[in-house]
Amino acid sequence: MTLKKVSTIGAFALLATAGAVHADQAGIDRAQERLAVYSNEPVFTSPGEPFDIKACVADKKMLSIPNSSANPFLKGIIDRMRAVGEDIGLEVTEWENQGQPSQWVQGFDFAVRDGYDVINLISGISPDTVLPQVQAATDAGVKVTTSHFYDPSFEPNELLSSTLPVGFNEIGKILANWTTVNTDGKAKIALIVSREVPPTIPLVDGFMSELAENCPDCEVVQEINVGVAEWGTKIQSSVQSVLQANPDVDVVIPIYDSMSQFVVPALRLTGKLGKVKVATFNGTPFVLDYITDGSVSMNIGESLDWIAYSTVDATARDLCDLPIPEKLNVPFFIFDKDNVALAGSPAQFDTGYGDSYVSGFRTLWGLE
Amino acid sequence: MTKSTETAGATTSYLRIFERFALIVVWALLILFFSVLMPSSFFNWGNFAILFASYAPAALLALAIIVPLTAGDYDLAVGATLTLSSCLVGVLNVWMGLPIVLCIVIALSAGAAVGLFHALFIIYFRIPSLVVTLGTTSLMTGIVQWMTNSSTIGGIDNSLIMAVVGGRIFGIPYSFYYAIAAVLVLWYVFEFTPLGRRLLFVGRGREVARLNGVSVDKMRVGALVSSGVIASAAGVLYAGTLGSADPYSGLNYLLPAFAAAFLGSTTILPGRFNALGTLVAVYFLGTGITGLTMLGIPLWVTNVFNGGALIAAVTISQLTRGREATDIG
Repeated sequence: MTLKKVSTIGAFALLATAGAVHADQAGIDRAQERLAVYSNEPVFTSPGEPFDIKACVADKKMLSIPNSSANPFLKGIIDRMRAVGEDIGLEVTEWENQGQPSQWVQGFDFAVRDGYDVINLISGISPDTVLPQVQAATDAGVKVTTSHFYDPSFEPNELLSSTLPVGFNEIGKILANWTTVNTDGKAKIALIVSREVPPTIPLVDGFMSELAENCPDCEVVQEINVGVAEWGTKIQSSVQSVLQANPDVDVVIPIYDSMSQFVVPALRLTGKLGKVKVATFNGTPFVLDYITDGSVSMNIGESLDWIAYSTVDATARDLCDLPIPEKLNVPFFIFDKDNVALAGSPAQFDTGYGDSYVSGFRTLWGLE
Repeated sequence: MTKSTETAGATTSYLRIFERFALIVVWALLILFFSVLMPSSFFNWGNFAILFASYAPAALLALAIIVPLTAGDYDLAVGATLTLSSCLVGVLNVWMGLPIVLCIVIALSAGAAVGLFHALFIIYFRIPSLVVTLGTTSLMTGIVQWMTNSSTIGGIDNSLIMAVVGGRIFGIPYSFYYAIAAVLVLWYVFEFTPLGRRLLFVGRGREVARLNGVSVDKMRVGALVSSGVIASAAGVLYAGTLGSADPYSGLNYLLPAFAAAFLGSTTILPGRFNALGTLVAVYFLGTGITGLTMLGIPLWVTNVFNGGALIAAVTISQLTRGREATDIG
């Protein structure tokens, strides 16, 4: 091989390397740009045209059935929906249950018998699980809606009067972009999922697609799939094993933040607490406190009160046969060490998101 | 005695020795298997140190089970007692600001109270232990949900975390040594004290024990209270390991702990619930689960491993013993 040929090949190699570096940096910049919107205090945007909400809900009753009343996240939403309902004249009642489908069925029967106008299934009850009851309620003139359950990519059950999906895919993208930016595009990731939970699929799809686009050098070293009932017994030991087998893992992503309570002890035992980044979603207060003490790096949160306002808004629009928003009108907000103090000490469910939505919705509804 | 009888006796004796140490041999083979597959990541001291520490609460829970089992009673409420104890520590320490030592004392006392409550219904009202402890599991689960608002409580006093997993001896966090201490105490009591012998007699035959002057009811009360206190100690250890108190996850430790208790009764002292055997069983199952996870095998396989190992071990043990009756249910 002549000197000229060697020089030419070397030049091409340098160009290719420079090109790859340039592409990596472009991905990091793109990820940074997409994250920016979630790092500022959430701003209210109108979910539709202004309307007279009091006229729409006059003498109407709504029965809210949560996936389980033991879930403080859902209980918090319904408590706030009840407060918003009192303000506008909508009677909101919770169907208390322990997560058993037979209890959900009883809730449907109660709503039909007691003359409710709408049944709202919150976060986790698939209408397919209670299909005969959805049909019976619809036949009896009771509207059935879901909120905080489907991803916009899902095809909702056709019997539903309306549905308010959540951008789980969008959450996956936020997690991917945060990982890209905070590891300079070279993350080695342990991803903890519960594939039995329907929103997991679009969330993981969003994560993987965004990672592929913006972070070609990032790698999901291992996906750990743990059923919800086994979080307590499986997550800690699994994370420990993965960290032992793959010492170069530098990011752990438990996609639902209640998984973190089992990730943190795994990091502590393996001596990696504070060295491995943890990014997650849900904004649960005790996990926000983990950010304060440095155990968790970031948490994507959403305001329960904002969800309550948004759900009541869509329900009233449905009752008045107005166009329904395409998805839950609630922005996501990234908490990290720089802003976690906004959530309070100890952190609270509804603190740190601002209150622009209160006056926003009240103006939209003709109350101000 | 004929030669053939002597040969048969020697064979039986060898089989008994084999039976006593079979699980330990299989455990060693399991370690060898994973070590060959993953020489750098599995076969290193750090991995075993973490394994020993993280299964310490499970080991204590399995020990809590074998005490009443030896006396012939089931305690299905140990998982709920663990949860009650860890959540009491969380609520009292984080929400009410009580000193951590006082919280631990209250949690252990609550475990004793649970044991006495069980004893009242099992021994005084003569209700089967399965029914009573199944009922109190649900009762305690409800109380825990009420007192925690169904929320995980983070921010438990750092001194508990430091006392459980903060320090290490030979690289192994303290929690392992607490479990070892409990094993040694139970081993000594079961094997070398009249109390342990009486407990065994009560479990083998209550009427015979009573006719021999053993205070059967007192022994059963003591076993149930011990179970409650040990399960509570497991809860304290669990809270220290997690650094938080979770109102749900402790219940899931019940079946693995029972699996370890029964698997443990096939080794060291086959046919009897014994503390050393239980410890071996906990870490045998833990080794299998850790190795499988490190290989990237789906987690449902670990359930198959837990259940399969238990059934296989108990069956082989029974076949080795010529299907004779044991005190293991």
